[in-house]
Amino acid sequence: MGEVWQGVTDAVRLLLAGDREVVEVTLRSLWVSGLALALALALGVPLGGLLAALEFPGRRLAVAAVNTGMAAPPVVVGLLVVLALTRNGPLGGLRLLFTGQAMVVAQTLIALPVVTGLVLAALQQVDPGLRQQLAALGAGRLQTLLLLLREVRVALLAAVMAAFGAVISEVGAVMMVGGNIRGQTQVLTTAIVQETRSGRYAAAIALAVVLMALAFAANLALTVLQQRGRRRTG
Amino acid sequence: MTGEPPVLVAEGLRVVRDGRTVVAADRLELRRGEVHVLLGRNGAGKSTLLRALDGLEPAAGRLVFEGREVRSAADRRALRRRTAAVFQRPYLLDASVVDNVATGLRLRGVARREARRRAAAALDRLGVAHLAGRRATRLSGGEAQRVSLARALAVEPAVLFLDEPLASLDPPARRGLLEDLRDVLGDAGAAVLWVTHDRDEALAVADTVSFLDGGAVSQTGPALEVFTHPRTTALAEFLGLDAYLEGVVEEAPDGQTLLRLPGGPVLLCGEAPPGPAVACLPPEDVVLLAAPPPAHGASLRNVVWGKVKAVGAVGRLLRVVVAVDGLEVSALVTPAAYEDLGLAVGRRVAAAFKASAVHPIPRPGGRRP
Repeated sequence: MGEVWQGVTDAVRLLLAGDREVVEVTLRSLWVSGLALALALALGVPLGGLLAALEFPGRRLAVAAVNTGMAAPPVVVGLLVVLALTRNGPLGGLRLLFTGQAMVVAQTLIALPVVTGLVLAALQQVDPGLRQQLAALGAGRLQTLLLLLREVRVALLAAVMAAFGAVISEVGAVMMVGGNIRGQTQVLTTAIVQETRSGRYAAAIALAVVLMALAFAANLALTVLQQRGRRRTG
Repeated sequence: MTGEPPVLVAEGLRVVRDGRTVVAADRLELRRGEVHVLLGRNGAGKSTLLRALDGLEPAAGRLVFEGREVRSAADRRALRRRTAAVFQRPYLLDASVVDNVATGLRLRGVARREARRRAAAALDRLGVAHLAGRRATRLSGGEAQRVSLARALAVEPAVLFLDEPLASLDPPARRGLLEDLRDVLGDAGAAVLWVTHDRDEALAVADTVSFLDGGAVSQTGPALEVFTHPRTTALAEFLGLDAYLEGVVEEAPDGQTLLRLPGGPVLLCGEAPPGPAVACLPPEDVVLLAAPPPAHGASLRNVVWGKVKAVGAVGRLLRVVVAVDGLEVSALVTPAAYEDLGLAVGRRVAAAFKASAVHPIPRPGGRRP
């Protein structure tokens, strides 16, 4: 018990002093997950829009794949990325394994189905009559999609927060593709694993507090936005 | 109407869904400044025809807009960019009222400031300028529908499509908007296609009425003519002219048209081709008499004697059903007239009506329609 208490007080000291390593790991986490989120949005929003707007053979299959992807364990995604990037893998020539880029790729793949699925779900909630009304006003496909995305903006922000929460707290994939190299590919989650394993509880707790704060902030923002959305439609 | 060519012409327009033809319109023309009402029961295909005409749904056949045929998806989009539509529900976006009304203009490439200016003018025309800054999702049903109409009028459409625009409003809101709409549409100068199942609404706004039955236009003409001279039993039934007289139309030597009924009576009737026919006799055109009509009632050429079979209330009037030689004639009378005539079920009475009150509807093949 004394060890834990010591850890907590040391952690507070580390945080208050703005420990260089804690700051560095935090920034790397934000950078990797932030970039992954941006890429997932850039791909997932149009993808969700297409799935919501178009009727094509195999659409149900694509939707099922997205839904499965939303529940895919990060470790499995990590394994797939490692297999692709390993020296003899199909993308081995890029020499990306155990780099920040590899972590971004893995987290993008984790966040993409989440964004796509939530955008699709949000757009499917829109009354088909509104879609028809916009078409009657002369909107083309892209104009319709943009207007509808604006219409479901609250759900869209929820998708952003959910995807961010999924990647910032994810440990399996970044560990596998990044290698958890201190000073290079170590992020909040993997650093906590390593510090805990080495018995450096103070550092682990300090990092955990930062991670919790980030996850909490994301969830708080999500809750506030959803409440605002409910009030508006109510 | 001027000799101006129609804005939109549909020829042999067909919409097939799951192998079933839901709409087959032989010919339909929409003209500038004219309100063309598409009348019919629910499920008659009115909304589907409207969507096909507005290019919202692909259809077989010919659709010609401003002299050019609409063929491809791009043509249909171009058509939609020159028209506007208002549906039963307002479908406003979660934005301010003025931005909602500006939407159509913005989509058509009008700059924001100019779009807002025109949106404000359109709101003013519909009497809701004071709502401009309000959030569109916070409006009452009547307000929202006025905003939706303003949004449609703001783009100055060549054709304005209205799909049951008043159907979801409560009676006071409906009356108010109906009156305002007549003025607004008159000023707008657009060709208007107004879909409704409401006869009173149709009569109040229509220049031309097309009756849609089972996906096909069965009759088109000036509103009053369609309402008083239905050419199909479906339309007669829809208009509430449900007292049928089945018989055969003949031409008398003196040029008059006769309807010979199976029970024996021969009635003078409105013009119709000879052959089997079903005639409808609007109850409001029938006068009941206790004695033979006086000489000055000469225009009441048809007088048949029968017995009062039933009496029912229709609003503040009484509907008296008279049985005449196996057929039935209904008349609407005031309660006072009913008492004056000493009427009661079983009492003998004469029913008199003009020849023009009997509208024979030809029955092809003589089968019951």
